[in-house]
Amino acid sequence: MLSYILKRLGQSLITVAIVIITVFLLLRLMPKSGYFTREDYVNMDESARTAYLRSLGVMDDPVTQFVRFAGGVVRGNWGRSISVYPKSPVMTIIKEKAPYSLWFGLAALAISMGLGLTMGVLMARHKDGIFDTFGTLYVTIVRAIPSLIWLFLIQQWVTGWLGWPMVFYEDRPVSWILPTISLALTGIAWYAIWLRRFMVDEENKDYVKFATAKGIPRTRIMRKHVLRNALVPLIQYFPQQVLLTIAGSLLIESIYSIPGMGGLLVNAIRQQDNPLVQALVLLYAVLGIVGVFLGDLLMAAVDPRIKLAGAQGGQE
Amino acid sequence: MKRRYLIVALGLALCALAAVGAQDRYYATYTAEGSSLRYFYTPDTTDQRIAANTQDGLVEQDRFGRFVPSLAERWEASPDSKVWTFYLRKDVPWVDSKGQKTKYEITADDFVEGFRYVADPKNGIKNLSKDIRRMIVGLNDYYLDLVDFDAGKIKDKTRDQLLGNFAKVGVKALDKYTVQYTLARPTPYFLSFLVMELFLPVEKEFLDSVGENFGISKENLLFSGAYYISDWQRDKQIVLKANPLYWDAKSVTVKTVSLQKIVDPTITLQMFQRGELSSATLTAEQVKALAGTKWADNVFMAEPSTVTYWFVQNFTSANPEFKAFVNNLNFRKALYYGLDRAKLNELDDPYQPAATLRNTVVPEQAAFDEKGKDYADYPEVKAIRDAGNYYDKAKAQDYFRKALAEVTDGKGTIKGVQPATVDWKPIAELKIDGKLPLQMVYVYLPGATETKRAFLFKAMLEDLFGKDNIQVTLAQVIDDIFAEAVEPRRFDMLHDNFRFGFADPSAQLGRLVTKGAVNDGEFSDPEFDKLVDEASQKTVLSERFKIFSKAEALFIDRCYVYPWRMGGASYMLSKVVPFTYPRGGFGITRFKYKGMIVQKDPLTSKQYEELKKAFYEEMNKATAK
Repeated sequence: MLSYILKRLGQSLITVAIVIITVFLLLRLMPKSGYFTREDYVNMDESARTAYLRSLGVMDDPVTQFVRFAGGVVRGNWGRSISVYPKSPVMTIIKEKAPYSLWFGLAALAISMGLGLTMGVLMARHKDGIFDTFGTLYVTIVRAIPSLIWLFLIQQWVTGWLGWPMVFYEDRPVSWILPTISLALTGIAWYAIWLRRFMVDEENKDYVKFATAKGIPRTRIMRKHVLRNALVPLIQYFPQQVLLTIAGSLLIESIYSIPGMGGLLVNAIRQQDNPLVQALVLLYAVLGIVGVFLGDLLMAAVDPRIKLAGAQGGQE
Repeated sequence: MKRRYLIVALGLALCALAAVGAQDRYYATYTAEGSSLRYFYTPDTTDQRIAANTQDGLVEQDRFGRFVPSLAERWEASPDSKVWTFYLRKDVPWVDSKGQKTKYEITADDFVEGFRYVADPKNGIKNLSKDIRRMIVGLNDYYLDLVDFDAGKIKDKTRDQLLGNFAKVGVKALDKYTVQYTLARPTPYFLSFLVMELFLPVEKEFLDSVGENFGISKENLLFSGAYYISDWQRDKQIVLKANPLYWDAKSVTVKTVSLQKIVDPTITLQMFQRGELSSATLTAEQVKALAGTKWADNVFMAEPSTVTYWFVQNFTSANPEFKAFVNNLNFRKALYYGLDRAKLNELDDPYQPAATLRNTVVPEQAAFDEKGKDYADYPEVKAIRDAGNYYDKAKAQDYFRKALAEVTDGKGTIKGVQPATVDWKPIAELKIDGKLPLQMVYVYLPGATETKRAFLFKAMLEDLFGKDNIQVTLAQVIDDIFAEAVEPRRFDMLHDNFRFGFADPSAQLGRLVTKGAVNDGEFSDPEFDKLVDEASQKTVLSERFKIFSKAEALFIDRCYVYPWRMGGASYMLSKVVPFTYPRGGFGITRFKYKGMIVQKDPLTSKQYEELKKAFYEEMNKATAK
């Protein structure tokens, strides 16, 4: 097990390094004109533009810039934003914004799992019945209609109907409800449809038929065997989903005016904020890789059929 | 005469009525987060709004747009307008983010220090334009020396030694309460620069203590303005509270300003309708949607800005067909009379498209001579301004026929143009055959309105002059019209807009001369250049304006660009009593909330129109000398 963990750690470090170097180099290919607006070109001459670029640190050669970035990361200094929030330390920005995305994300994930899994079980148990029909209808609506439409309608109607604030306010807990529910809606559908599918798959397997033939009650088969086995593939994604809640939701944070991380990376790329992009890519890459790794460990823990450090050194 | 007094009295009565229900809180929204609280760097309106309300400069603009004392209680200029001396108010303290008095007093050194900060290239203050660097004695040399040092070109001096040369720059504290600016050339309109963020003060000891962290949070700032930042949450909200130690505290009617970041205009409108906001700007679609509702009577059109939109044509185009035509005055005149501005403006304002047309490059209500006369009222430009939508189909077709006669051989071949391929990839690629129809490329930004305008522009010209004679190719850039089209010269015609920088016609005309900063068409007219140069030499404003107005009339007559629409002038719903707060066409003090009255109920459009009428009467009386 230890050797497996060490091997995965090594692979993860190489993956993160490749991601970071690729992103770093791609950012250096962006045209410098992106740092100037139309008005800047009118106001500034060549020397002022060059001086401005130098003040941002983007005129140094890429090797110097990379050493500065990597050295800073090692020392815990992630640099300062250069164009989205000029001069603000990147770590301060992340510390300010991440908790909003994290807490909303975790609450939504809890709701998604609670309701989604329950719905999935009911749909599988009553396949082609009323729960399945309504569950499928819900999943189809959520996935087929562009989310912007129903998110917006929920915001308009529910806030108007109940007299709730339209946007998020930290000191008004009632304003936290709709963004959380809105965030959970797709998650509920995702858990429901996949759990249903895996449970139906399991139900058709021989061991279930055998257990039924032995006279084991259906409820017990469903709970002890079908549900447990159907959860295995879903559990694999759980750690990643938890960790990446930090990335936030561009759409929901925007319409509810939540100052989270959603849209930060997109903004940073658009404004060529190299230190911010690099830090976010590093953060998301590390969290993504850790999430996959933890998912594998979790899967091995709940499913005795899976051995991570077997004879072939991989999953069996 | 009696009627006028009646209107003024009515306006004052309405103001008084509004004041009865006056609110001491103002709630508004912003769509884009400011870059930082570092008030010398204000690339967008949110930054400017915060800077204007939390910091005071030497002068500010009042509700009539006049320059009035702010932290300077008086000033004097040398007869040649080159030396400007400002005398500060005494005992005005800097306050912190709790609104409490600090140990620092606002002194002349703070203004010198502010400019020292702005002039150091390491601080990345983009707005320090080359024109301002050349305006203040010694500033350009000081700045360029530091630039050269940072680039490694100066090795025999230390950076500190070069920073010491700031003593040679024409910004000086003569004593604790006197600051003096020495300018390189006569600048009678210098006060209009002082309403920019570049001329704000900063406390040196405090600045040194916070270093690189200056302005990254409210705690890393001191405040000299009408408000201090009591709460700031990135991408969420900004709360300003009235500064209890402000030198002009009695003028601050609204005690708390709460600004929230709301990106979607639909949410802003809903919040206003639910009573959660004091004002909301409306899109054209929202105005249409409100028609017939109980809110229809509350919609009014706010005042225009000094931003002017114009169509730019490329006089050095790599498309030889267009180049041949655009350098023909009759062709340009054909376009001048052929563009139906009101029709084009219907896309932005379906109700009063003619109300926001502007035919001149210098806006009205932006530059006044020593007698208080608006530059826009000088006869040469007034005639152009009063013409309104000068669309004239018959004239346009007549000029086009003349152009065809001059530019083609009469059989459809454009003189001197050989078949060629115009490679403007990724925007456009054209096969040129040197024959009619004339092919021209219209470049536009993405977005529903700009796209519709491009199609309308094409249809307008092709219908008017015939598809056999002209064919407009539409080419869309991704998001940066300058980097993608203007700089690489990939356009025949494009739509652009420019703001007006300071209170002198040279702010626009001075940068439209040959090789001027906004001469994107690369036209050259020695006669126009000469007039602009001649006007710039005059130190008496009325003499300057007279020559500038001649230059602008010539410029418009020769159709180098086609100015056509004002910026601003958006439809609004608001509880803010208009014209109670500072006004101006440039700089940041126009964004002050000082003096603003917020009434309990939304304004009605009737109330707005009455207040507007009364205000203009009052302003004309107040500004006439």
